[in-house]
Amino acid sequence: MIFKGGSNFPGRVALKLDKNILRTVAADYKIIVITGTNGKTTTTSMVYNMIKDSDRKVISNNTGANMLPGIIACFIEHFSFSKDTIEKYAVIEADEANLKLITQYITPEIITVTNLFRDQLDRYGEVYTTLKKILQGIETVPSTKLVLNGDESLLGDLGLSNKCIYYGFETSLDNNIKIDVNADAKFCKKCQSPYKYHYLTYNHLGNFYCENCGYKRPDLKYSVNEISELNPEGSLVEINSKQYYINIPGTYNIYNALCAVSIAKEIGIDNLVIFNSLKSQKSSFGRQEAIDIEGKNIKIILVKNPAGYDEALTTVSLDKRRINLALLLNDNYADGRDVSWIWDVKFEKLTQLDIEKILISGLRLYDMATRLKIAGLNEEKFLVTESYDELLNGIKETQSKTVYILATYTAMISLRKFLKTKGYIKELW
Amino acid sequence: MSNNKCLELNICHLYPDLLNVYGDIGNILILKYRSEKRGIKVNIFNISIGDTFDWEKYDIVFFGGGQDYEQSIVSTDLNETKKFALNEYIQNSRVFLSICGGYQLLGKYYTTPGGEKLAGLDILDLYTEAGNTRFIGNTAIHNEDFDETYVGFENHSGRTYIGNLKPLGKVINGYGNNGEDGFEGCIYKNTYCTYFHGSLLSKNPELADRLIKTALERKQGDSVDLAPLDDTLEMKAKKYILENRK
Repeated sequence: MIFKGGSNFPGRVALKLDKNILRTVAADYKIIVITGTNGKTTTTSMVYNMIKDSDRKVISNNTGANMLPGIIACFIEHFSFSKDTIEKYAVIEADEANLKLITQYITPEIITVTNLFRDQLDRYGEVYTTLKKILQGIETVPSTKLVLNGDESLLGDLGLSNKCIYYGFETSLDNNIKIDVNADAKFCKKCQSPYKYHYLTYNHLGNFYCENCGYKRPDLKYSVNEISELNPEGSLVEINSKQYYINIPGTYNIYNALCAVSIAKEIGIDNLVIFNSLKSQKSSFGRQEAIDIEGKNIKIILVKNPAGYDEALTTVSLDKRRINLALLLNDNYADGRDVSWIWDVKFEKLTQLDIEKILISGLRLYDMATRLKIAGLNEEKFLVTESYDELLNGIKETQSKTVYILATYTAMISLRKFLKTKGYIKELW
Repeated sequence: MSNNKCLELNICHLYPDLLNVYGDIGNILILKYRSEKRGIKVNIFNISIGDTFDWEKYDIVFFGGGQDYEQSIVSTDLNETKKFALNEYIQNSRVFLSICGGYQLLGKYYTTPGGEKLAGLDILDLYTEAGNTRFIGNTAIHNEDFDETYVGFENHSGRTYIGNLKPLGKVINGYGNNGEDGFEGCIYKNTYCTYFHGSLLSKNPELADRLIKTALERKQGDSVDLAPLDDTLEMKAKKYILENRK
């Protein structure tokens, strides 16, 4: 498994036949491209749903096949020779390094960048490298509107001729103004001084400013003004003074929703449609997906990098019941070969939770078990096993009803395959 | 033997806010955990931009790797405020663990891919030159003096040449310092340098204990025996790399 998703093959064949194929097959679409480190799949799904709910025609590569061949395959799948006149949209999730491959051939209406965090350094390199790749992708399309996370200090003042619209938090979650020593981009991108914050939301995101050179968060067009409720099922928030219930939990999903709302407003979708769409938003593949295993309520969360893992743990922490955890760590190419990043995740915060059992599996289970031991978790609660059968039995034998499974990409795929053979899930994708 | 005195270690983490991307903070967490399990009190000191490095205060210093942008900020600060004290610390045989970017910065210079020569701290007689490819992957080395095998993950484009310094180990698998001479890391007095992430000490508890023991013995002026810990998980994690190294 090299690429995400299962649908790259037609795209690869088409590319071999005609390297300009994307220009042809995407010609009739208004295209919205979503890139950035975390939140791409969920944001893509939200925007897709909002457009669909507004009774417009829309397609999306929502299986997560976000490299060039997968994106081409998505257009080919919906290609027809007859020209229709109705407005058609394509909501495209793009891998950060693949953006420039796409914008060579097509000019999106909107490109959005969600955030930039350290991510699988053996594959992507460092955040400034990723940012550079994204900017190279944007430079070829100056007429594209950019919808950007204003709380992401790396995305302010990009010096591009594109029209830029920013979204962010106009309210604080917990009045935190002190950035964690291990967060990502803490030093002013213009003058190297440490940023200050009126408040932080998570990692290095927040209302930042530089005392030395005056660089600060850009003005926001769309913002969260109030957070009324954060629970393990969802969040109740106000965006530009309108209330929305986001049907998937966690601060990072408020960002995803805010980004989706911003895009939807920019393309003129009615507020009631947006409201209803967010209220019924279902979790995407491996994003808080719920499964029932003999009366146990299982939630699967995909984890890929420290920022995402920390947010997943924060979201799990909203659950005040006694819970079980299953942590699966693989080191295949798609997971990142280097597992060092688990040491940048704050597993220490799990010591505050009421945890019955911690099941540990995946190819690098002993690295994970060591990490959890050093974090101060009680080893007597550990079940460390390479076998998914033992893992499943472990889940069945617990007293408490709730199990959160946090898994890296290929661990999640193999676990889903296993659960499918056992009849607990029907669809693999 | 002096085991039951009130033991205390002061561990200094250099630039934890800047040199922090490769999970190297795990080494600090592990040193703290393994010390506290033996009843040794640990104080962690985060020392960064503009802070004074008071070398006589610390028993173990850790210096990790960072991204290029942050590393350039560190480089300026080191030369302005900490160079002399770091040299004193290392020459006085205190325990120092340096990884990746930190390792490179202790040497004479680092040449960038563009050919620019950046001055290092010039404490160790070694230098680094950028290569065209990155050395990325799981790696294992053997240290003959200690008869210990260390595993980790390397991810560096710099080629480091250590001259007459003693290497940390002979490469069993991986690229090592420069992909040419078959050695990895270096040891000078009680300074240990390596490219190993992982975190390094997570799968090499022998090395973690060597650092703790050396630091305590210097402080106590007497030999110290560390009570053994259960390292089953750590050694199984090591075994995975040794058996599946690619």
